[in-house]
Amino acid sequence: MKTIHIAVLVLLIVAVVVSTVIYQQQEQEETKLKVIYAGSLIVPFEELEKQFESRHPGVDVQIEGHGSIQVIRQVTDIHKAVDVLAVADYSLIPDMMYATPSGEDYADWYVKFATNQMVLAYNNQSKYADEITESNWYEILARPDVTFGFSNPMLDSCGYRTLMVTQLAESYYDNQTIFDDLIACNFEPTISGTKEGDTYIVFVPEIFEPHAGKVVVRGGSVQLLALLEYGGLDYAFQYKSVAQQHGLRFVELPDQIDLSSTEYEDDYKKVIVRLGFQRFSAVDTERVGSPIFYAVTIPKNAPQPELAVAFVEFVIGEEGQKILGNLEQPSLVPAEGSGVVPFALEPF
Amino acid sequence: MKEDRKTIGFVVIIAVICIGAIAAVMYTHPFGAPEEKINWNLTLIGTAEKVVTFDELKAMPSYEGYGGFFSTVGMINGPFKCKGVPVEDLCALVGGINGSYTLWVSAQDGYMMVFTYDQVKGNFVTYEPVTLKEVPHSPLKVILAYEQDGAPLSENDGRPLRLAIMSEDKLLTEGHYWIKWVDKIAIRAIKNQNKT
Repeated sequence: MKTIHIAVLVLLIVAVVVSTVIYQQQEQEETKLKVIYAGSLIVPFEELEKQFESRHPGVDVQIEGHGSIQVIRQVTDIHKAVDVLAVADYSLIPDMMYATPSGEDYADWYVKFATNQMVLAYNNQSKYADEITESNWYEILARPDVTFGFSNPMLDSCGYRTLMVTQLAESYYDNQTIFDDLIACNFEPTISGTKEGDTYIVFVPEIFEPHAGKVVVRGGSVQLLALLEYGGLDYAFQYKSVAQQHGLRFVELPDQIDLSSTEYEDDYKKVIVRLGFQRFSAVDTERVGSPIFYAVTIPKNAPQPELAVAFVEFVIGEEGQKILGNLEQPSLVPAEGSGVVPFALEPF
Repeated sequence: MKEDRKTIGFVVIIAVICIGAIAAVMYTHPFGAPEEKINWNLTLIGTAEKVVTFDELKAMPSYEGYGGFFSTVGMINGPFKCKGVPVEDLCALVGGINGSYTLWVSAQDGYMMVFTYDQVKGNFVTYEPVTLKEVPHSPLKVILAYEQDGAPLSENDGRPLRLAIMSEDKLLTEGHYWIKWVDKIAIRAIKNQNKT
């Protein structure tokens, strides 16, 4: 009996050792592809990872989400080995990766592959949910019993884009009090807007606290979505894709203010947000209004450059665009390349 | 007798496997190496300026508590048990901080965040670690941590010094406050906020 127990124990140990060795060998044999993406792409990129792996046995796509600036800093400042990066603001790639002041040159091309637009997200429990429309949203938000939120403009592109939307709304609705009513009067110290010639400058001080109860500012979309879900908030400015992916209702804003359309590019440019401190030494404090375009690139020091091209080809190709579309992420068809785009990607 | 031999045989096999496993672990995870000396200077700027070495900082009174954070995409890290020096104590070395000032914490990699006086005193929104629902908290302490879960911080966790928000509760705060590789803390008067 004792012998049987010992035999079983030995077999178990052997099984564990053998399976560990096999697992380690498999891990070593797998090619890892490191992909870093902007936070608002989390849902489609999880699916892209799965689908790409199923078409490329032996490839382990390792995805990681950050704010767009942090995505690039993983390569330029933190010097991580990254194969593909995707950001929510295409201009960050040339600004931060092309011939940097330190003399480093991390990339020389990008491909715009997706778009987005700003919306006002809410749910059935939100006050005046059945009343709010594209033409009265700013009046509903200003009502004393309504709460709304947006992400911190110092930290998140959706945050400074919210300030652009509310400033652009003044011109579109011909109402010069919208920014003051929704933003300026709800903060101490205030987030102020002033006009310089044709341009509106929104100044975000180094510290700003919303007045209790009316407006909520959080670091990013994740926290605002949780607040909406648990009834801590009536409305939140979000990207349309994020609102749709989380099953929220939303008010579509006019193209003239939702930062979605190249047709109104010149109008968007008239709003500049100046941030009160330089959070990243490599990025300045000025954000100029522009249409929202997501872009992808491959750093020059990518460990798996050929596989990285295959991944980008998959993302911007028919299959990838279909995945993006199915997951409510509007894609740009055809994708638009800029700079020295790899030959394999030129047909797209 | 035959039974005994069999038993001895099996014991020998197990012993060989165990010795092999231990040898493999020791080979891949060597231990017993002397603790590496950390050459790191923290610059403190207030009414005075002072540079504190890592060893000097470690010799200061410490605080130990629990806390964690989540990333932009909601990835949860921790809660951990962290040990470090309260940031307020560091401010006190260069004149202290009050409501007329903000705290500018910067890192070797070029990252920087500004904290209000209230935040230095522990005024943050805290989140439940599973649902990310906002929840109340016991008093929070902002520390410059050098230990996490009983070990020195790893490079990826901000070695040797990382800002951490701690309490007796195991709650989360937003990840952008947890600055890695901190090398400078400056106390600055609040600027006139409305200048463009």
